[in-house]
Amino acid sequence: MTVGLSDADLALRIGHGDREAEAEVCRRMAPRIHLYGLRHLRSAPAADDLVQQVLLAMLEALRSGRVRDPNKLAHFVLGTCRMTVAGLRRSARRQERLLAEFGSALVPDQPTAPQLDDAQLARCVQALSERERSVVVLTFYDEQTAAETAAFLATSESNVRVIRHRALRQLRICMEATS
Amino acid sequence: MTAAGSGHAGCSNPIDEAALMDYWLAILPSADEEAVEEHLLTCEGCGDRLRVTIALAEGLKKLARSGSLQVVVSDEYLKQAARTGQRVREYAVPPGASVQCTVTLDDDLLVARLAADLNEAARVDLSWCDAQGVELLRMADIPVRSGAPTVLCQQSMTMAKASPSNTLIARLVAVDPEKGERLLGEYAFHHTRTIPGPGAA
Repeated sequence: MTVGLSDADLALRIGHGDREAEAEVCRRMAPRIHLYGLRHLRSAPAADDLVQQVLLAMLEALRSGRVRDPNKLAHFVLGTCRMTVAGLRRSARRQERLLAEFGSALVPDQPTAPQLDDAQLARCVQALSERERSVVVLTFYDEQTAAETAAFLATSESNVRVIRHRALRQLRICMEATS
Repeated sequence: MTAAGSGHAGCSNPIDEAALMDYWLAILPSADEEAVEEHLLTCEGCGDRLRVTIALAEGLKKLARSGSLQVVVSDEYLKQAARTGQRVREYAVPPGASVQCTVTLDDDLLVARLAADLNEAARVDLSWCDAQGVELLRMADIPVRSGAPTVLCQQSMTMAKASPSNTLIARLVAVDPEKGERLLGEYAFHHTRTIPGPGAA
C-alpha cells in the first residue's frame, strides 16, 4: 500500500525499484504538473505533453538515485517543469521513443475540470457595479494587464487590482449562493 | 505556505483565492509565483481550488468574448476584438443625433460610441430609455476618463439579435450630489430587425 505515504517516502521506494510507488507518484504528480502546464502553456494538449516529459525525467532521476534529497522531490519536479516548458516552447518535438518504453504510467487520467453554470455566471457578472464589470471584461477578454485597464479607467494599477479582487469575490459568493 | 506532501486533499495553509487568480493571470511577482508553484506541487487541495479558479477564469473569458454583456469598454478592447477576428458593429453618434441601426447573424459585438464632453463630470450615468423617454435601465457611475471624447458601451448582442424593431434613447448624464443631474448628450437608436424570425417586420 502506497497511498498514505508521503512524496518523500515514495521517492525513496522508487530508488529501491518499487513499481507500485512509481505509479502512485505519477498519479499524484500528473495533475499538479498539468496545472503548471496549463498556466504556462495555456493549452491542455501541451500540458499533457509536459506531464509525460516531466514524469519521464522524474522517474529516470528517482530510479538512478539522482534526486539526492527525497524531501525536495517537488523542487526537483518544479525545476524540471521549468526546463521542459522552455524546451516545449523552442520545439514541438515529442519523445515518443521514451514514451514507448515507460508506457501508460506517464499519462494518468487528469481530474475532471469543474463545471460552471454559464447562464448563472452571466447573471452574476451583470449584477456587478459598472466599474467592476468593465474591469472583469477587460481583464478576461484577452487577459489585459492591470496597467492597460488602469489607463482606461484613469486610476492606479493597485486600484484596478482592488476592484478586480472585489468583483471576483462577489462573483464567487454569487455563484456559490445559487449552486 | 507549507508543503503538505502527503497527497491528501486537506491543506493547513491554503493559498488565498485572489493569489490563485493572480497566478493564473500571470501577474504575481516572481518570488510569489515561485512560492505558489512549490506549494501546488505538494498540495492536492490547493490544486483542486486552482482548477475551480481556472474554470471561473475560462468562464469569464468565454462570457466576455460572447458579446452578451452590457458593459462600458475601451478602444483597446475593440482593437483586440478586431485583431482576433470578431466582427464589431459600431455606431458612432454625436450628442443630439439619431442613427438607424441593425445587427446581422454574423456580428459578434455591438457597440455604441457616444460622443460627449466629459470634462468636469465627476460621476457619469448612462440611462437607457424607450421611445417615450421612460427609463428602462440606468448604468450608474460608469467608468469614464475625464477629457475622453467618447463613451463606448457594448450592448448585449444576444438581446439585439432577438429584439424586434424599436427605438432606444441613450442619455449620458453628469451626476453631482449637490447640483443634481446635467444632461451631457442624448442619442437615439432606431433599430430595424433584419434577422428573420419572431419580431421581424
